[in-house]
Amino acid sequence: MTQIKYMLLVSRQGKVRLMRWYSAYDSKGKSKISRELATMVLARKAKMCNILEYQDHKVVYKRYASLYFICGISSDSDNELLTLEVIHRYVEAMDSYFNNVCELDIIFNFTKAYEILNEVLVCDGSMTETSKQAILRSVMTMDSLETSDSLDQVLS
Amino acid sequence: MTSLYAPSADDVMRRLRPFGLFFEKSLKDLIKGIRSCGENSEELERFLSKTLSECRQEVESPDLDLKTNAVVKLTYLEMYGFDMSWANFYILEVMSSNRLQHKRVGYLAASQSFHKDPDILMLATNLLKKDLKYDGNNDVLKMGVTLSGLSTMVTAPLARDICGDLFSMLGSSKPYIRKKAISALFKVFLQYPEALRDNFDKFVAKLEDEDMSVVSATVSVICELSKKNPHPFVQLSPLLYETLFTIDNNWIIIRLLKLFTNLSQVEPKLRVKVLPKILELMEVTSATSVIYESINCIVKGHMLEPDDYDTALSCLEELTKFCNSNDPNLRYISVVLFYKIGKINTSFISEFNTLVIRLLKDVDISIRSRALELLEGITDDENIAQIVQILVKQFADKDVVLANKLFKQTRQENIEIEVPNSYKIKMVSTILRICSLNNYANVPDFDWYLAVLSDLCVISQDLNDEAIGLQLGAELRNIMVKVPSMRETCISTIVGLVSNNDICRQLPMVLKECLWCIGEYPSSISNGDDIIKLITRQRRLTPEVQQIAAQALIKIFSSWCNTNGNVPINDVKHTIQELISFFESLSSSKSFEVQERCVEFLEFFKLCAESLEQNDEELPLLITEVLPSFFNAYELNPILHGTLKKVQNSLSIDLETPFLSEDEVKNLLEEESSKHEAESMLASDLDMDDEFEEDDAIENPAHEDKLLGDRSRDDLAEEERRVLEEERRKEKLTNPFYLEGDYEDFAAKRENPLIDFNDNQDQNYPESSSLIAGELKHVSETSKKTKKERKKKKKKAEVLIDEGVPEITSDVAAIPEPQPAKSISSSKNSSRINLKMQTKLESFNFDQPQKYVEDSGAAGTEGQQEIDQLRAKFAESSLGQDMDEEVVIVKRKKKKRSKDKKHSKKKDVEHHSAHGEPAKCDSGQNPQAENASAHDQTAHESL
Repeated sequence: MTQIKYMLLVSRQGKVRLMRWYSAYDSKGKSKISRELATMVLARKAKMCNILEYQDHKVVYKRYASLYFICGISSDSDNELLTLEVIHRYVEAMDSYFNNVCELDIIFNFTKAYEILNEVLVCDGSMTETSKQAILRSVMTMDSLETSDSLDQVLS
Repeated sequence: MTSLYAPSADDVMRRLRPFGLFFEKSLKDLIKGIRSCGENSEELERFLSKTLSECRQEVESPDLDLKTNAVVKLTYLEMYGFDMSWANFYILEVMSSNRLQHKRVGYLAASQSFHKDPDILMLATNLLKKDLKYDGNNDVLKMGVTLSGLSTMVTAPLARDICGDLFSMLGSSKPYIRKKAISALFKVFLQYPEALRDNFDKFVAKLEDEDMSVVSATVSVICELSKKNPHPFVQLSPLLYETLFTIDNNWIIIRLLKLFTNLSQVEPKLRVKVLPKILELMEVTSATSVIYESINCIVKGHMLEPDDYDTALSCLEELTKFCNSNDPNLRYISVVLFYKIGKINTSFISEFNTLVIRLLKDVDISIRSRALELLEGITDDENIAQIVQILVKQFADKDVVLANKLFKQTRQENIEIEVPNSYKIKMVSTILRICSLNNYANVPDFDWYLAVLSDLCVISQDLNDEAIGLQLGAELRNIMVKVPSMRETCISTIVGLVSNNDICRQLPMVLKECLWCIGEYPSSISNGDDIIKLITRQRRLTPEVQQIAAQALIKIFSSWCNTNGNVPINDVKHTIQELISFFESLSSSKSFEVQERCVEFLEFFKLCAESLEQNDEELPLLITEVLPSFFNAYELNPILHGTLKKVQNSLSIDLETPFLSEDEVKNLLEEESSKHEAESMLASDLDMDDEFEEDDAIENPAHEDKLLGDRSRDDLAEEERRVLEEERRKEKLTNPFYLEGDYEDFAAKRENPLIDFNDNQDQNYPESSSLIAGELKHVSETSKKTKKERKKKKKKAEVLIDEGVPEITSDVAAIPEPQPAKSISSSKNSSRINLKMQTKLESFNFDQPQKYVEDSGAAGTEGQQEIDQLRAKFAESSLGQDMDEEVVIVKRKKKKRSKDKKHSKKKDVEHHSAHGEPAKCDSGQNPQAENASAHDQTAHESL
C-alpha cells in the first residue's frame, strides 16, 4: 500500500542511524540521497509541512526527539498521511520494545531496530503490520528463541 | 599445570561469546569507539578504517560466531557509507547457519546488500529453497526470518520453485506464517505471474480469513498487484465492496480505497456503485487520512466527471477545511488535490480564489509553490493584478532583505523564510503563464503587463536560469506581434531593456528577442543611429544573439535612413562605417550562421559606402529604394505553432521538371541577343537588384538558377526577366530549406502551380488549399471584427489570434506520443535480470487460457520453453497497456478543451471556422494540443 522506497533515521547532527532501502540504489546513489536529504530535512522549520519533493518522488519525514524519520515514497500513488502514520507506528513499537526509546537505544541495538522495522514494514515497504501487539510478540519470541539457542550452545 | 581436561583458551573464548563476552571487538565496542572519536573526523576515519580491516580478517575466520559478529559490524558500518557488497559470500555463509541468531543477522545483512548482485542471488536461491521447504511443522520463527528475507532476493526461477511451498503455507494454522507467506507471495507473483493465475482462488480466499492481519496482508497484496495490473481483480469488486461495508479498521479501509482507485481506472462501471459509498464514508469518518484517501480515490479513480459539480463541491469543501487547518501537512496535501480536481474541470476551483491567494502567502514554501500551480485555474481579469502584485512582492521583499525575508502570519510572530531560487523561477513562469492564458484574455491592461514584464526582467536577471530568459523574451515578442496598438509602448520598453547592460549580459535570450522586435518594427524609432551604436558596441554576445543582431541592424538602418526624410549624409556615412566595422569583426565568426549573414551585409554596406563616396548631395538609390525593398513585403502575422511543419510535410515538390526546355532556352537566348544592346542599361541596374535579393536570401542554395542566370541574365528582356524572377521565387518556395528561413508569411504566396497538394492521399486537400489563400484572410478579418466588438465592451487592447492551416494530414502532428519511450521501458523489463522491483506482472495477460499453462505445469520444470513462449506473449500484451495510457491522454485533452471553451467561447468558434472543423480527422485532439502549446511559441514561425 504505502510503497516506501527507503527509510532513513537521521540524527539532528545529520548522522545516519538507520537506513533501509526498499528499491535498488547503488551505493553512490544511496550516499547522495542520505546526504542531501539530511541537509534538506534538517533545514526545515517546525512550522513547515512534513512533505517535500525530492528528485522524482516525495519525501515524508517526522521528527521524534532528536531523530528524524525520513521516508521516500513514490509521488503519485501514496498517501502521505498514512506514511506519517506508519512512521508513528514504528516509533511506538520501538518505544514499547525498548521501554521509552531514545537515540542511544537505536544506536546500540540497531539490529533490533531493523528487526522491528522488518515486522512493521513487511515486504519491501509495500505493506504494514498495524497491530503493535503482533509486532512486539514476534520480535519478543524471536529474541527468546535466540537466547535459548545461545543457552543451548553454552550448556553443550 | 594444564590439565588434559581443562578447556583451551580458544574454547573458553568461544563458550563465553554467547554471553556477550567477546575478545574481538564487538558491535558495542565499535559504536563506543565511534562515539569517543566525537567530532574529530580524522581520528574517526582512522578508527573506521582500522575496524574495517579487522572485519575483513574476522569474516574469513572459520568460527561462525566471529563471522557473524563481523557481519553485524559491517552492516553497521554500511550506514557510514562503507560498501559491504564485497562480503556478500560471507553473509551467505552466515545465512546458512542453523542457528536463528546467525540466520537473523545473515538475512538482515543480505537484505541490506544483496540488491544488485546476480551471482550471489543465484547462490542464495538454493539456500532459500532449503530454508523454505515446508512440511507443516517447521519452526515458525525461522520461517518468519526467511520469509522476510525472501522479499529482497526473489528471482524468477526461485519464485517458480517455492510457490508451491508458499501456497501450502497459506493453509498453516499459525496466522503469522499465513501472513508472512502472503507477503512473500507478493514478490513471487511479480516475478512469476503464472502462479497467481493458477492459484487465484486459493489466494483470494484469504480475503475472508478469520485473522485480521491476514486479511489486511491479502488486501495489501491485491492492492499492490492491482497497481501493476488491475484487470484480473475486477471480478473481485463485489466481495471487496462488501468488505468495505463491514470492516471498521481504518488501515484496511484505506487500502481498499486504494484498491478501488486502481480498479475503477479500468472498469468505469464501478463508479456508479462505489462513488456514493465513498461519499458516505467521507461523511461518517473522523479520520483525516480516510477522508484524504476517499478524495484521492474519487479523483484518481476517474470517478469525478467534469460536470459532476455536487461531488466536486463536497470534495472541495473537505479540502477547504484541510487548507484552513493548522497542520501544514494537511494544507500541503489538500493543495495538491485541489490541483488535481482543477485539472478535471477548472470551473470547479474557480470560486476558491481567496483561498488560493491565502495559500500563496503560506509560511511554507512548498505549499506556496503548489499553490502557484493552482493559479492557472483561478485567475480572471479582475484578480490577476492582485495576484501578480503578491507574487512580485515576494520577490522584491527578498531582494531587499537578502536571504532572510520577514513574513507575517496572521496570528503568529514573524517567521523568517528563505525563498529558494527554484521557487522564484517558478513564480516568474507562473506569472507569464497566467497572463498569457487564452491569448491574453485575462490581461486587463497591456501597459500594466509591459511594466510587469520589464520588472520581471530586472528581478530575474540574477536567477541564472536560461529558460526564464527564453520565456520572458517570447512574451515580449508575442506582445509586440500580437497587440498592434501597443507596439509604440512596447518598443520603448524594449529599448529600455536593451540599454540595460546587466539584463543584456544575464538574460541573452531576452536581448535576442528584443533585438528581433526592434528589427521588425523599427518605424517608431527616430534615432536609429543611436540604437545601432548601442547594439554594435555590445560585446560578448552569444552567436544566437549575434545572428539576430546582424539582421536587426540592417533593418534598423534601412528604416532610419528612409522614414525620417532628411538624415544628414555625414551621419549616414558615419553609421555605415560603424556597421562595416561591426560586420567585419563578425565575418570570421565561428558560428556559420553569423558568419554568412555578416559577410553578406558587409558587402552590401561596402557598396553603400562606395556609392556615398560618389554622391555627396543625397542618399543613393541603393539605400532609398533597394534596401527597403528587401524587407516588409508582407504583413507579419502570428501563426499557430506547428503550422509550418504541417504545410511543409504536405507539400510534394517537383524538382525534376526544368522550367524551360532546352529548345526554349535556346530560342530565348537568340531572341535576347538581338535586343541586348538596347536593354543593357536597364539590365545592369536590375541585375544588381537581383544580386542583393540573393544576398538577403541567406539560405537559398539556388546554384541551379544561378547557372541559368549567369548565362542568360544579361541577355534577357525585361519581360523575360520578370518571368525568370517569378520562377525563381517559385523555386524558392518549393525549396524545403527555404521555408525554414526568416521569411514572411508564405501562405500568401500560395498560388504557385508547382506546389502540388497530394490530392490522392488526402481528400481534404483541394478544399484546404483554397482555404489557405482566401480563408486565412477571412479569418483574420473576422477575428478582428469580433475583437473590436469585445474591445468596446471591455476596453481591452486588440490581440491578434494565431493563424493556422486546417488540419491537413492527421499523421503529421501525431508523432510525438509517449509510445516509443514505453516500448523501450518494457523491453528493458524483459531483458534485464532480476533487480529489485522489476516485475513481469504489468505485462502479464490473465486472459490467456489456463489450459495452456497447466500443460506446462504438468511438464514441471521442463516446461521452461512454454513459459518462455508465454513471456514473449506478455511482452506483446503490453501494447494493450499503451492503449490505456492513451485513453487517459485523450481525456485530459478533452478537459483542456472544455476549459478553453469556458474561458473563450468566442475564440473557439473562430478557431473552428479557421480550421475547417478539424475534429473530423481521426486525431481530433491535435489541433487543441497545438493550440495549448502555441501561446509561448507562436511568433517563431512568423520570423
